[in-house]
Amino acid sequence: MKHLSDQELMRIVQAGDFSPASEIYDRYSSRIYNFAYRFLKNSEAAEDATQEVFVKMLKHANQFHGDAKLSTWLFSITANWCRDYLRKADNKTKEAEDVLVTLPAPAELSPERTLEKRENERRIQKALTALTPEQREAILLSRFQGLSYAEIAQISGCSEGAVKTRVFRAMETLKKALGGEASGGERCLNAIS
Amino acid sequence: MSECDFMRENMPLLLTESLDPARRELTHQHIERCAACSDEWAGYRETWQFLGALPEVEVPAHVKTQFLANVEPPLRRLAPAESRRHVTRWLAQAAAVVLVASGAFYAGHRSKPIELKEQPASLNSYSIAESRVLPARLVSPNIEGRPDIENVSFVDSNPSDPDIGLSFDITSHVTVTGRPTDKSMVRLLRYVLENKNRAASPSRSRAIDWVRTLYSRPENAEPEIAEALANVLRNDSHEGVRIKAVETLNRMPGGASADTRGALIEALKSDPNPAVRIKAVEALANLARSGATFDSATLDTLRQKAVQGDENVYVRVKAAEALSSIHP
Repeated sequence: MKHLSDQELMRIVQAGDFSPASEIYDRYSSRIYNFAYRFLKNSEAAEDATQEVFVKMLKHANQFHGDAKLSTWLFSITANWCRDYLRKADNKTKEAEDVLVTLPAPAELSPERTLEKRENERRIQKALTALTPEQREAILLSRFQGLSYAEIAQISGCSEGAVKTRVFRAMETLKKALGGEASGGERCLNAIS
Repeated sequence: MSECDFMRENMPLLLTESLDPARRELTHQHIERCAACSDEWAGYRETWQFLGALPEVEVPAHVKTQFLANVEPPLRRLAPAESRRHVTRWLAQAAAVVLVASGAFYAGHRSKPIELKEQPASLNSYSIAESRVLPARLVSPNIEGRPDIENVSFVDSNPSDPDIGLSFDITSHVTVTGRPTDKSMVRLLRYVLENKNRAASPSRSRAIDWVRTLYSRPENAEPEIAEALANVLRNDSHEGVRIKAVETLNRMPGGASADTRGALIEALKSDPNPAVRIKAVEALANLARSGATFDSATLDTLRQKAVQGDENVYVRVKAAEALSSIHP
């Protein structure tokens, strides 16, 4: 399966054979999970999102068009799932968990560096959480998933101009929130290198 | 929009090298001659670079296992969620009271795989929309078998009504209502909390939130709930759930049983996640402050943690704080 392209794998799925499920999962689960995790700041929800996105991929495989990128389609499903999750009032209060709990300290780093690294992560995650969901979605897809504005527009169901504005506003907010650290920031940047 | 504003809107695109050559050149030229935009650009670049400090998080292995468990390649079908497969004698007990008419219908449908092409519209096409309400007094507190329950939600919206409700999907949507101290209600909650393979983690997480609100009231003190939380702390694979379990144990009325203390010590000693160990040490310190006595083994564990060189520094500090609470 590994030698097959995404489109070829999806054609097999569309024919009713789910044997490529594992291969597709291996290709995209990390990106899907990380996007959901950073968007929702909740590892349990990110796990649910990841599972459900791949189940939906199989179930609605016929909605995937071969001329589209599979990653774009999967991120569309993920972003929808995450937006629905946030819409539920119960879940809004659950956004504030999971900061230090996910990353075990790398054994090779000194305690000070580990703390610094975790502090940087905490600060960035906090700054991301302060964005609007639309801005957060746009910056996560642009900065961390490397998607183009056209792809983000397709995922977010808006125009490229709107994506441009969202990313710009997100960067303005992040620059202010992280600016002190970033501009004096060699200490922080060194800490993660 | 001023020229500077226009150029600054292009800066994120410049960072991703997504500008067309002409606009890229124009933006760079502007940045070179405009000191304010040059500073802005430096700020953007540093922020963009700093965002790279956000590490990639590993997907827990069980996510793939659970996903693949729902796929039956030889049949080329998506199976109903595994948790729907088993209907238990416990359900039968409940169903016998209320669901007699519908029982045969469910039994006939429960194991039928979903034909995707035939039912593309909904992932939940196996859910039965009907809902049943069972008073707790009609449900045996002894849950037999290992029923799979999903979509657990809690009903406690009327402050003047002492009854609570626990809703979930089993083969149909069921709501069991009763007092928080009704044995059947306690057992059901305990089941939701303890069975990580049966109830999805958000259900467990929500259950703990609910338990915290409900059973931290002295009038609802329930040793079985504390035992369940101690078991969650010992056994749950999800660190977020374990953290909530410690936090909730910390707020249970009536002091901690030996079992609870044991679970906290075990977590402090060997939980792989430092955040769980911190919460455990905090809970132990709270117990000490409230006058609980500790055996020498517990004190030894705290002392060992306070000086353990390879322990997370937060845990060391908290262990030292806990010791100082115990020995002011």
